[in-house]
Amino acid sequence: MALDETIREQAVTWAVRTGDPAFDDWEAFTVWLEQDLAHARAYDEVVASVADTTEAIPVAPVANNDDEPARRSQSRRWFGGAIAASLAAIVAVGMWQAQPATYTVETAPGEVQLVALEGGGHIELAGGTRMVLDGDDPRTAVLEQGQALFTIEHDPAAPFTLTVGEDTLVDVGTIFDVKHTDGRMALAVSEGAVVFNPGQQNVRVSPGQRLISAAGSDAYELSELPTADVGEWREGRLTFQNATLGDVAADLSRMTGIAFSVSAASTGTRVSGSLLVEPVRSDPRALGPLLGVSVRHDGEVWEISAR
Amino acid sequence: MESSSSAGLEEAFLAHRDRLLRFLIARGAGDSAEELLHEIWLKIAARNTGPVSSPLSYLFRAADTLMIDRFRSARQAERRERDWSDAHDGTVPGVSDAPSAERHLVAREQARLAMETLDRLGERPAAIFRRHRVDGVPQRALAEEFGVSLSTVESDLRRAYAALAALKERIDEV
Repeated sequence: MALDETIREQAVTWAVRTGDPAFDDWEAFTVWLEQDLAHARAYDEVVASVADTTEAIPVAPVANNDDEPARRSQSRRWFGGAIAASLAAIVAVGMWQAQPATYTVETAPGEVQLVALEGGGHIELAGGTRMVLDGDDPRTAVLEQGQALFTIEHDPAAPFTLTVGEDTLVDVGTIFDVKHTDGRMALAVSEGAVVFNPGQQNVRVSPGQRLISAAGSDAYELSELPTADVGEWREGRLTFQNATLGDVAADLSRMTGIAFSVSAASTGTRVSGSLLVEPVRSDPRALGPLLGVSVRHDGEVWEISAR
Repeated sequence: MESSSSAGLEEAFLAHRDRLLRFLIARGAGDSAEELLHEIWLKIAARNTGPVSSPLSYLFRAADTLMIDRFRSARQAERRERDWSDAHDGTVPGVSDAPSAERHLVAREQARLAMETLDRLGERPAAIFRRHRVDGVPQRALAEEFGVSLSTVESDLRRAYAALAALKERIDEV
C-alpha cells in the first residue's frame, strides 16, 4: 500500500517522539491523529515495522555498566576490574571528605520533607532520616540513617550514586526507596532499576524486587514485593512482613514521632501486617488489635509486647 | 513531577478518562474505544503498579502500546493467512506447519537485514538507534553521550525509522 509521503514522514516524526520514554505531549499527538484517519494507520505501520524488524536484535552485553563510558574500559586494561573499582571507591571517599560543599538534611520523627535535586528529580525523606547532599554534585547522596524515596532522572553520563553505610547504589533511571536502620540496608525499586555495589556483588534490582543487606556483610537477600508497597509510607501506610517487633517499634517511632519500645522478652517476636500510621499516631493502643500485640503506656514511651 | 502510587494512577485515570477515550478513538479504536479503555484499566489494576513519575503520560503510553500490539498481531495474523493460502495454492500439498522455530528464524533474518540497513546510514545513526531502541537510553541522554544536539539525535532516529519501515515493506512484498 503506497502511503502518502508527507503522512509517512509525519508518522516517522511522531514515532520517534513517542518512542522516547520522556515523551509527554500526548495532546499534540492526539490532535495530529484526529486530522486524518490515515494518520493512525501510517503511525502503526512505522512503529510496527521498526518493532518487527528489530525485536530480534540482541541486547548488547552492557547490563549493569550503564555508568561506564568508553573511557573506563581503558582503565580496566591497566588495573583489572576489581582493583579499578576499589580504587574508584577510595578516591570517591577521599573526595567526599574533602568536599566542603556537603550539607545535611535531617527530619525529626513524624516529619517528612521533600528535597528537589538540582537538574531534576527529588528525594522524599521519611521521619527520623539524615541525609548528606553535595552542593557541587547533585548526583550523589549519602543516606546516613532513616528512609527515603528517590525519584531520579537517569543520566548515563552521570549516574546517581547513593551511599548507604558501606554499600553503594547506582540508579538506572528510577524510583526507589531505601531504608537504613540499625546497620541494615533495604532497597526497594518501583520503576527503572538500581545496581547494588557495582564494584562488588553488582546486583541489578528491578521493579518489584527488594534487596536487604546487613552492614559489614557481603551477603544480601533478594525478595519480591508489590511495587505498590514501595514508598507506601508517603501515604501513611506501613507493611510488615515477618518483621521483628524491634523493627516495628523503630519504624513506628520514625513515622509517628511517638516513642515506641519493645519489652525485653519480645524483641525477637515476628509479626506481619499492614497498618495506617495516622490512627496509631492518634492512639498508639490501636496497634494492639492490628498486629496482635499488647501496648502499654510507660512514661513517655509506649511499650509493645507479644501477647 | 510529583510521583504517586497506583492511587495516583487511579486518580489520573478517572480525571482524564475523556482525554484517554478521545486518544483511543483518534488512534483508530473506533467502536471498541470504551472496551479498550476498560481493558487498560484492568491491566493497570492487576499489575499493582507502584509510584510512577507521570501518571497521565503512563496511561497514554499504555493506550498507545495496546493499539500497537493490536495492530501488530492483526498484521501477523493476516500474513500467516496469506502465507498459508499461498502455500496451499501451489502444487506442494500439506506439510506447511508454520512452526515457531521458523518464525524465529524469520525474526533473526529480519534483525540481520535491519542491522545492515542501519549500518548503511552511517556509524552514528546506527549507534544512536541501537542505544535508544535496544538499550533503552532516552534521547536527551543520547545527545550528551554522543556530543550532538537533541535535534541531531531525532533526525538520526527519523532516518533509521524511515529506512526500517521501507525495509519492512520490501520484506513483505517478497
